[in-house]
Amino acid sequence: MVNPATILVTGAMVGSLYVLIAIGFSLIYGVRGVINLAHGAFIMLGAFAYLVAGGQVSGVAAFVIAILFVGLFAVGLYLGLVRYIEHNVVITFLATVVVALIIQQLLTLEYSLAPRSLEPIVSGGIAFAGTRVRYYQLIAFALSWVALGLLFLFVRRTTLGRNILATSMTEKGAKLAGTNVLYVNVATWFVAGAFAGFAGVFIGTLQSTSPTMWINPLGLAFIIVTIGGVGSIKGSIIAAYLIGFLETMTVTFVGPAWRGMFALLLLVVIILAKPEGLFGREFIE
Amino acid sequence: MSKSVTSVTEESAYGYGIPLFDTRVNLYQGGVLAVLLVSLVTVPVWAPPWAYLFALANIWAIFAASWDIISGHTNYISFGHSFISGAAAYTTALLTFNVNPDMAIYITFPLSVIVAVVAALVFALPSLRLSGPYFSLLTFVSVLVATKAVFIFSTYTNGEMGISTVSVLTFDTTMLFYYTLVPAVIITGALLYISRSNVGKVLKAIGQNEAAVEAAGLDTTRFKLWGFVYSAIPMGIGGALLAHFYGNVEPIAFLIVDRSIEIIAIAAVGGMGTILGPAGAAYLFLFLRDEVFKAFLGPNARWVAIWSVVLVLLVLSPQGVLKRLWTFLGNLGGDSS
Repeated sequence: MVNPATILVTGAMVGSLYVLIAIGFSLIYGVRGVINLAHGAFIMLGAFAYLVAGGQVSGVAAFVIAILFVGLFAVGLYLGLVRYIEHNVVITFLATVVVALIIQQLLTLEYSLAPRSLEPIVSGGIAFAGTRVRYYQLIAFALSWVALGLLFLFVRRTTLGRNILATSMTEKGAKLAGTNVLYVNVATWFVAGAFAGFAGVFIGTLQSTSPTMWINPLGLAFIIVTIGGVGSIKGSIIAAYLIGFLETMTVTFVGPAWRGMFALLLLVVIILAKPEGLFGREFIE
Repeated sequence: MSKSVTSVTEESAYGYGIPLFDTRVNLYQGGVLAVLLVSLVTVPVWAPPWAYLFALANIWAIFAASWDIISGHTNYISFGHSFISGAAAYTTALLTFNVNPDMAIYITFPLSVIVAVVAALVFALPSLRLSGPYFSLLTFVSVLVATKAVFIFSTYTNGEMGISTVSVLTFDTTMLFYYTLVPAVIITGALLYISRSNVGKVLKAIGQNEAAVEAAGLDTTRFKLWGFVYSAIPMGIGGALLAHFYGNVEPIAFLIVDRSIEIIAIAAVGGMGTILGPAGAAYLFLFLRDEVFKAFLGPNARWVAIWSVVLVLLVLSPQGVLKRLWTFLGNLGGDSS
């Protein structure tokens, strides 16, 4: 017998992580139409930064270090590479995916392909609605909403955040109004990287940390952003929870090997029925 | 009506850089091409230890040129081409593993190519409604799903270990080289012909401005679909060849998305939309990866090196290195344009 509460609780936990995976990808895609295929590698770097820092400092400090490290890495990637090629969609595609592969190979050299598990920030758990929930799952869930709230405040209440929003609507208009597009890009990449680092720590803990772990989150980010609609944070959140519940049900009723299959099916249906996604603007090249 | 249609598409196609062979080949270009071709054909004579590597490169040249006819021309970047070749390889493998280990190659081979075409159409059909980036994302995800399916149905596919019941073409590397060289040359020639034909020009025009091609009254969806078929047939041939090359079909060498990315990287370094560029770059890529970097850096670090080289070349020469060299040779003569 499957307890419906189990699916609800587990689905919500999975969904809160998927939001974190997708939000950074959605931001970069939404603001400038840049598809960053190194996004999965950002998530992986978050997990590895936590692994390395966790050996030196406490779990909470390692978590903060991982977030800052990936945020800065993302800014570095933008300033050092993407800035020069972003006008060329095809080359940006290729270059970012090649960056992901380089990171994968470097990590393989250093840590081998064997998966490792990360030490959770807090161990232990409680029984909740008949399901055992681990504390760090609850922390992930709560922090995910806190981070989303902060992002919302940032975009709506601060000048830099409003500039990001304006640039995502019309770059030309934002420039005319005096927005410094370079600042906007740097801020966007930092926020996207920080969210990816955050997601990486928890994915590395819940699943496994290995140099090939970037591919699945990248695929998920595509699926979620496309279903939710490009440029819509609300759409990404709803799509992430939708996929979270769908996957939990898939794992419960069909089997863990089928994870991802039905999400893809949903993606195809949405693309055919509503190509701009649930809440998206029409994608303009 | 039809007169204005052709003029629009021809103009867009010719306005696009200097594709190989769209222009007159000058003495320098012809000379270099002839020298390279002769050296390739005689590899087993002047460098017998390299015959195996170049045999593998022949198959990758097929892949890169096949990818180029659809993605390089239309700018619809497919991350799913390892799915097409993998479908062919797995058809060959599944038939010998699950049906009859002695099934003749003249039965399995055509069947594999047919399955590859069907697989390509399965992901080409939803693409008819998608703009470029969505198309790429969907093809990327389809490779992930196909890889996953191999593990889900591991009773039939033998999961990560793969199927080793496929007959190896030959253990004589010289013969292996020529068995793969002949299809590579024929396919590259055929794709070059398609690229230069009206279909190829329309595909290139789609890559430049799809709305304009549509406005000119051409059904771009039909052209893209045909482009996919032209791409899938040689991909299928290459995939089945690769199965018989290794004798063992498993996900890592045949299916995972890294293989698709390699195909794209090769095509981009060679020069997208030129057919010959991607085919030539396949030899360069494999030679660097499996010979030069392997000798200096070892089997693992060579990957870092090859991807770094690709990244630098992509940024410095987005048009493609070989295409640039070709243009350079073309300008040596003075008046070729």
